[in-house]
Amino acid sequence: MFEWGDDTFKSLANRAEPRPQAKRAAAPAHLKAKIYSGLLSIQGETGPLASLTATNTDGRGLCIFEEGVRILPVGEQVKSLNFCSVCHARLLGEKLSKAPIYWKNCPYADFHRS
Amino acid sequence: MKQVPSCSPQLEIQVQSADESISLNVSDRELVAAVLGKDRKATAEFVDRYSDAVYNYVRSRLFPYTDRTDDLVQEVFMAAWQQLGSFRAESSLHTWLLAIARHKVQDYYRALLRQPVSLEEPDETAVLISLPQFDDALDAERLSAKVALTMAALSEQYRTALLWRYWENCSVRDMALRTDKTEKAIERLLARARRAFKDGWNHV
Repeated sequence: MFEWGDDTFKSLANRAEPRPQAKRAAAPAHLKAKIYSGLLSIQGETGPLASLTATNTDGRGLCIFEEGVRILPVGEQVKSLNFCSVCHARLLGEKLSKAPIYWKNCPYADFHRS
Repeated sequence: MKQVPSCSPQLEIQVQSADESISLNVSDRELVAAVLGKDRKATAEFVDRYSDAVYNYVRSRLFPYTDRTDDLVQEVFMAAWQQLGSFRAESSLHTWLLAIARHKVQDYYRALLRQPVSLEEPDETAVLISLPQFDDALDAERLSAKVALTMAALSEQYRTALLWRYWENCSVRDMALRTDKTEKAIERLLARARRAFKDGWNHV
């Protein structure tokens, strides 16, 4: 007779792994998009985002819409708004598994390309 | 405030060893500084660079009940943002994020085990059976496959209890502390889970 008790399961745990370890997969693009949107949203709750001017100065590329805002003769406060929150790329990026967005330097497009 | 002891030393080792190939470098600090500065492109890079690792970790810990993976991964990154100011680069950002992910998974286990369970006493005699076949007949791969199949057929609560106790090496005392249950209640839950596993094992 054999009891499936504590020791049996400890032994089993040492010899078998019931969860797949090797099958690695990339996080889905729509999940990355949601995480990015969520982070920008909570960052915005505690004050403005970094200005597009500063982002551009740091050498990080802007998308075509952000670049348009950056060169506008408006204050830095406007350039610190979360434009991604009202962009159609966000909607497509979060909802579709293969979103048809191709803008250069758009995070949502990059998630779906990678 | 109740002191909840650290669980799962094996997991700590796994997290560290998985990170060996990722060097602690300046770019982590630069990235963190930029994210803290609310640079949107740095934030996108942060997500792109680490979401695969967090996703794989969470998914593997929740398998086969992976439907909560996306929610937990998002929670990991939101928690990371809240705590990012305390990141001291004593470990890599990768290790730091997986530590947050580990806590989120433990929270998930805890919530599952806090749900009410049947109060029926386990029939301990039912756990007495003939010698299980896994001693010599099955190699490690087949054994793992059979365990995975048996686990998949269990209720989420039973499966979580077994994984937490035996595969995450959490003591009964720690499980009781973390779920606000008595050790006796956890023992009863484990006994029922073991019996269910045994029943499933004989039918896989």
